[in-house]
Amino acid sequence: MAGLHSHHPPEDCLNCEHRHLRMFCNLTPEALREYDSIGIMMSHARGAKLFSEGDAARNVFIICFGQVKISSTSRDGKTMILKIAGPGDVMGLSAVLANVPHEVTAEAIEPCQVKTVRKQEFVDFLGRHGIASMHAAQALSGEYLTVFHDAKRLALSGSAAGRLARLLLDWGRSASNGKPDIRFTMALTHEEIANMAGTSRETVTRLLNQFRRDQWITIKGSSMTIVKPEQLERLTA
Amino acid sequence: MPGPAQFGYSDAAARPLAELLACPPAVANLLNASAESIECDTGSVIFRQGDPCLGLYLVISGRLLRKAERFAARLTLGAMQGGGLAELAAALGDGRHTYSLVAQAPSSLLMLRIDTLHRAFQAYPPLRMQLLQELAREVSRCYLACTAARFKEFRRSGGNPLPRVGR
Repeated sequence: MAGLHSHHPPEDCLNCEHRHLRMFCNLTPEALREYDSIGIMMSHARGAKLFSEGDAARNVFIICFGQVKISSTSRDGKTMILKIAGPGDVMGLSAVLANVPHEVTAEAIEPCQVKTVRKQEFVDFLGRHGIASMHAAQALSGEYLTVFHDAKRLALSGSAAGRLARLLLDWGRSASNGKPDIRFTMALTHEEIANMAGTSRETVTRLLNQFRRDQWITIKGSSMTIVKPEQLERLTA
Repeated sequence: MPGPAQFGYSDAAARPLAELLACPPAVANLLNASAESIECDTGSVIFRQGDPCLGLYLVISGRLLRKAERFAARLTLGAMQGGGLAELAAALGDGRHTYSLVAQAPSSLLMLRIDTLHRAFQAYPPLRMQLLQELAREVSRCYLACTAARFKEFRRSGGNPLPRVGR
């Protein structure tokens, strides 16, 4: 969930230093030139809604930096967080291509920079560039896997401790990018983590304290380090 | 241009196949040449969760179940019948099966090899837009199913979105 934080927001796609690390934007020079010419770069403050569930899907959003909470709300007003999207993630793609309203709500949980491309402009771009279409297919497949694994984790995990451990490991490994030090920024509240792990806020607080006492994790401010991943891994079994 | 009739299947069941093969002859021949016919009996496993995905599966006839598992726990995700496309996300994505597909009745399928699918995807823009749209619909359905299941469990558990474990 922590993702790659940039302190130097890119001015444009051609000069973006992070492009090669991100699946969707890593295009051929020709496709990149066109990609750079479409859409607009927008900055969003923490708490800003990029789109809401049920809205007509008019744009595709690609996160350049920052994190966005993807959630869904029931008719009686309860909110479920489905995932935290980070740099390089494409949002709104499934709704735009399937021609349906947005299935989820996207809200910035920290200041974000997002490239916003109009639906038809994006579809035309995909039609002209095979590599962009392949990346879009991979983005959709990734989205499918995330939702699928989220549902499977909730449906088939026996304990709350196991589900929380799996979330922490997923976030840590995604942020550490292969480095041995598994550290990430915890941008969510315990209530929000509880929503994702399928348990209560009290249980999340109790388990995090327990993990800390056992020295499996350390927490400094909003930064969490997983010291003993093998112990958390054992809980997920 | 090759079409579903060539395979001897009904129009209704072969609709996605017909759409897939509605390509220029070169692309359609490419797909047609790589298509493998699979006939299976009740209980046969077409592919297993976690195994490498060999291609895109089109259900021609019969009935199959999509099943997921994690350690000892099992979950039936739903049924597939004639006309269904299976594992488009795996075929265009990370190349691993996300679930197992098991025949619930004698069934016929057609499998389009992954490398051929990728070549056709690159070569023919209308086909790739069609596959992208189908994949997007699958993602959209997955979102709705996941959300509905979570809220159902949320209500059932009296506040916590804790799912029932299907062991």
